Amino acid sequence: MFVNSLNGIIYGSFLALTSLGLSLVFGLGRVVNFAHGVLYALGGYFFIIFLPSLGWSAMLFAPLVVVPLAIAMEWLTIAPIRNRDEIYTLLVTFGLSFMITGAIEYLWGTETTLIKPPVIFQGTVDILGNQFPVYRLFASTLSLLVTGLVFVFIQFTPVGLKIRAITDDNEMAEALGINTRWLLTSIFGGAAGFAAFAGALGAPIFSVEPEMGMGIIIDSFLAVILGGLGHLPGTAVGAFIVALAKSIGGGYIAEWAIAVLFLVVAAIMVLRPRGVFGRGRIA
Amino acid sequence: MAASPDVENRVEDASRTRSREVATQVLLAGSALLVLAVPFLGASPFFITLLTEALIFGIWAMSLDLLVGYTGLVSFGHAASFGFATYAAGIFAMNISADFFLATIVAILTAAAVAFLTGLVVTRLSGIAFAILTLCICQVLFQISVVWRSFTGGLDGLIGVPLPTLFGREVEPGEEFYLLTAATLIICYLLLRRVVESPFGKTLLAIRANEDRAAAIGIDVRRHKLVILILSWMTGGVAGSLFVFLKAGANPMTLYWIESGNILAITILGGIGTLFGPIVGAIGFIFIRDQVTTMYRAWQFSFGLAFVLAVLFMPSGIAGIAERIWRRLWPARSS
Repeated sequence: MFVNSLNGIIYGSFLALTSLGLSLVFGLGRVVNFAHGVLYALGGYFFIIFLPSLGWSAMLFAPLVVVPLAIAMEWLTIAPIRNRDEIYTLLVTFGLSFMITGAIEYLWGTETTLIKPPVIFQGTVDILGNQFPVYRLFASTLSLLVTGLVFVFIQFTPVGLKIRAITDDNEMAEALGINTRWLLTSIFGGAAGFAAFAGALGAPIFSVEPEMGMGIIIDSFLAVILGGLGHLPGTAVGAFIVALAKSIGGGYIAEWAIAVLFLVVAAIMVLRPRGVFGRGRIA
Repeated sequence: MAASPDVENRVEDASRTRSREVATQVLLAGSALLVLAVPFLGASPFFITLLTEALIFGIWAMSLDLLVGYTGLVSFGHAASFGFATYAAGIFAMNISADFFLATIVAILTAAAVAFLTGLVVTRLSGIAFAILTLCICQVLFQISVVWRSFTGGLDGLIGVPLPTLFGREVEPGEEFYLLTAATLIICYLLLRRVVESPFGKTLLAIRANEDRAAAIGIDVRRHKLVILILSWMTGGVAGSLFVFLKAGANPMTLYWIESGNILAITILGGIGTLFGPIVGAIGFIFIRDQVTTMYRAWQFSFGLAFVLAVLFMPSGIAGIAERIWRRLWPARSS
C-alpha cells in the first residue's frame, strides 16, 4: 500500500507536468493537443539517441529539439484552423499523432528500450522498511519542482499575467494589446518542451517505446477532464487522482486497476461535471 | 393572377430540386443494385472478401456518422461499439448457437447495454470533453477485453468462431456471406435514413447546431444524446457481428485507439452528415490499405498525413466534393 502510493505520487508528478502543458495550451488557445503524448515520446527517443554522445545532458538537449518541431507543427497545422470549431484542433493533432507514432516505428523500430539511471542515482534508499530506487525520488522531485516553477511563472510574472488574461477572455486580452497569436505559439512550444523533458526524465523509469505517448496522453486527458478543462490547479490535482487510483488499485487487483480508475473518473464526472473545483468547461 | 418573377423563380427552383432528388434516388438505387450484383460480375474470391470487409466497415462508419455528422458528437472511442459486439456475437456463436440473427441480436443488445452505461456519463458532455472521455472509455474497455482472459481469450482473442447459419442453413464464406453483408448494409442504410429524416433526426440537427438553444426550446438534450448514442452503438454492433463471422474470430485490437482513429478518419474523409459518404470512405480505406500495407512500411505515417491534409483542406470529405459536383449538374438556381 505504502509503496504503491509512493509509486503513484511519482507517476503523478510526471503526469502533472504533461497534463499541465495540455491544460495550458487548451486554456490559451482552445487547442486540444492530442499530439502532446507523441511529443513526450519524442523526448524519450531523442534522449536515448543523444545519450551515447552527450551523456546525461541529453536530457536538456532532447526538449531543445522537440520545441522547434512543435512550433513548426503549430504553424503548419493548428494556426490555419484557429477560426474553426475547436474540435478540429483535436482532429488535426490526432492525425499528427498517427503520423509521428508511425514515423517513430518506421525510423526506430517497435522495440522497448530501458536504460539505466546515471551512476550516482543507481542505488536504493530505505523508506519505512521498503527499498526504493533513488532515481525515482530524484526524478519525481525534479518534475514537481518544474511543475511548481510553471505555477510560479503563471502567477507572478508579467507574461504569466497575460496568459491568465487570455485564458479568461481572449477577445478582451487582444483588445488590450496582447499578442495572443505569438503567445500561443510560444506556450505551445514551451508545453512541448516540458512534455519532452518529462519523456526524457522518465526514460529510466517507464522505458521508451513507440506507444508510450498514447499511455500518457490518455492519463493526461483524464487528469485535465477531472480538473476541469483549462483549470490549472485542478489539472495538477487531477493528475495525482489518476496516478494514485491507478497505482493503489493496481496493488489490489493488478490489471483491473484501469477499471477502478475509470469508475473513479466516472463518479467524479457525474458528481462534478466541471471538474474537481467545479470551474472547468463542459464543452 | 400573374405570378411575380420571384414566385416563378421559386417554382423553377423547386422543380430543379425535385429532379435532383429523383436523380439522387436513382443513383442510390443504382449503387445498391451494383453492390448486390458484384458476385455475379465475375469478381475474384479475394476481391469479394475484401469488399465484404469494406462493407462491414461501411456499416460501422455509418453508425459513427450518426454521432459525428448528425448530432455533432465527435466520438474518439467508437472502436468499442464494434469490438464489444464482435466478442458478444463470437462467444454466443461458439457456445450457444451460430444462427446469424440470434448472434446479431446478442451483439446489438450487448452494444446497447454498454452504450447505455457509457452514455450515462458521456452525455453530460459535448464537444471536446465528449471526444476525450469517449477515447478514455474505449481504452478502458480495450484493457478489460485483454485482462478478462477466461471470457475473451486475452490478447489471443477468440479463435474458431463457426460459420453463421441463416434459417438453419450454413452461410458459405465468400459470395453468400458477401450477399448477406451487402443486404445488411442496405437495410441499415435505409433504416438510418428513416431515422435521420424523422422529427427525431431533425431534433438531433438542432442539438448539433446549438445545444443550449435546443435545450432552451424544450428539447431534452441529454435524452436525445443518449438515444442516438445507443442507436449508433447498436448499428456498430451489427457491423461487429458480421465482422466476427468474416474473420472467424475476435481480437482485442479491434477495440484499440488506432481502430477508433481509423473509423473516425474514414467517416470524416468520406463525408459526415451524409450516411452515404462514410460507406464510400470505408471502401476506399480498405482497398487502399490492402494495396499499400503490402508494399509500403510507412502506411501509418502516410495515413496520418492524409488525415491531417483532409481535415485542413477538405473538411466536407469525398461526399462534400461529390455533392458540389452533383449540384452543379442539377443547379438549383436557374441562370
